[in-house]
Amino acid sequence: MKTNHDIKLGVSLYSYQDNYYFHKHDLEGCLAAAAGSGAEGIEIFPEMMIPEWPYISDAFLDKYYGWMERYGLETVCVDHFADRAMHKNKQLTDDELLERSVWYIKAAKKLGATHIRLLHSAHLGKLLTIPGQKPIDLVNPEITGRLLPYCAEYGIVLALECHAPTSVDDPVQQAYLEVADKLGLSEYIGLQVDFSSYEYCMSTADVGMFSRQGINRECLEYIREKQREAYFAGKDFVFEEIEPELKKMGFTDNDKRAIQHVFSLRQRRPASYEKLKEYASKVVYVHGKFYDIDENGQVDNMDYPKIIKALQEGGYKGYICSEFEGNRRMNDAGWCDEIEYVRKHQELMRKCLGYEK
Amino acid sequence: MYDKHILTDEGCRSIWEHGKKIGYCVNIKINYYRGLPLCCIEEIDLEVDGEKVDPNTMLVQHNGREYRYLDLLTDDFPTDVYWIFGEKLRVVVLKEGGIEQGRHRVKLTLKTRRSYTPTMVSVCEKELTFA
Repeated sequence: MKTNHDIKLGVSLYSYQDNYYFHKHDLEGCLAAAAGSGAEGIEIFPEMMIPEWPYISDAFLDKYYGWMERYGLETVCVDHFADRAMHKNKQLTDDELLERSVWYIKAAKKLGATHIRLLHSAHLGKLLTIPGQKPIDLVNPEITGRLLPYCAEYGIVLALECHAPTSVDDPVQQAYLEVADKLGLSEYIGLQVDFSSYEYCMSTADVGMFSRQGINRECLEYIREKQREAYFAGKDFVFEEIEPELKKMGFTDNDKRAIQHVFSLRQRRPASYEKLKEYASKVVYVHGKFYDIDENGQVDNMDYPKIIKALQEGGYKGYICSEFEGNRRMNDAGWCDEIEYVRKHQELMRKCLGYEK
Repeated sequence: MYDKHILTDEGCRSIWEHGKKIGYCVNIKINYYRGLPLCCIEEIDLEVDGEKVDPNTMLVQHNGREYRYLDLLTDDFPTDVYWIFGEKLRVVVLKEGGIEQGRHRVKLTLKTRRSYTPTMVSVCEKELTFA
């Protein structure tokens, strides 16, 4: 029997990638782990855990629905990818990408999901650029407009994931919503929060990984400490201010390049909780991203109580799915117990939501 | 990530046909958190005991099918054939006489393409035992 909370909790099976990759658990095992954490729903990457993808047979669905029944779960979201770079010398055309994207909408329908996480061009804010190459265009507003009639046909909502360094209040997201408004199909699209937007310091998981890659641990801990100081003092973190001190400690330009894609350098402060509250009622799906959990049961680099309060007070209705990303930062040092991390994370979220003391 | 695990120590052996060793194989796994179409393989580069393997002699076997390695790299290879996440892809090197039983130094450089980040390059070097 499911709860009747406005905000329900689920698990993205992405969280169990090592268990699957190393064959400790198959899909059923991952579903059982999610159910064991107290979750009521799941998110699935078809390319990860449906071996016959891009086809889904009735035989697979027989098993799948049996498991969902057995473990008391529902499918919430299917993850869409926009792999344009299929071939070495040519990219998929818009028509081909559209056709491929429809696969995910149909898969979501087959699996009983309500949403697909759309990998749209603005999921990191501005278009991605790689030196010497054209900016990488994924699903742009025009293709999104062409997908919406399929969403209406199959009853699937497109969730526009807003991943750090962007956030739901970034104006760059509006073009996608406007396309839907014009078509009168706005009920089939909405914003998706990813908690990465609310990181206020480098995670201890990153500190561990980068130090094992040869970057001075003291320097990493110094950066993390300064970020925490800035956040708790309500100030911006400005990397350049601590750079001279870091250089004295032996921090090199190579070290800087190695870590610049993590929070440490790309953001000065987490996205606004006020804005999150303002946008919450328009949000259609949420990734409860985390990398590590500290000894107090808190996520070590995001302010979960504040983030969840903003969603709750702003009137968000829907799922928050645990998305554990510590595995890929920790598994170079040995086995990472993803199942236990997710259990702790679900417990933290239940507490933040007031579902348990 | 999985860089340390892309080269597995399972099933390394000479391959026999009609009573003769016609080559040898290694089994590799994907360097990513999901499966990718085989056409997203940018390169599989193998070095065995310091010697680069000629890509012309490589076959790839996965999910019950066999392909010439170089066919995967062409711009018209089908886009719906996936390298299944967590599953091994067998690389067969055609070489008369196979490989000598015992330990060999193998270096794999695996490059895969995704759309939303640069091509992933993973390097894994191991001593493997060939049967």
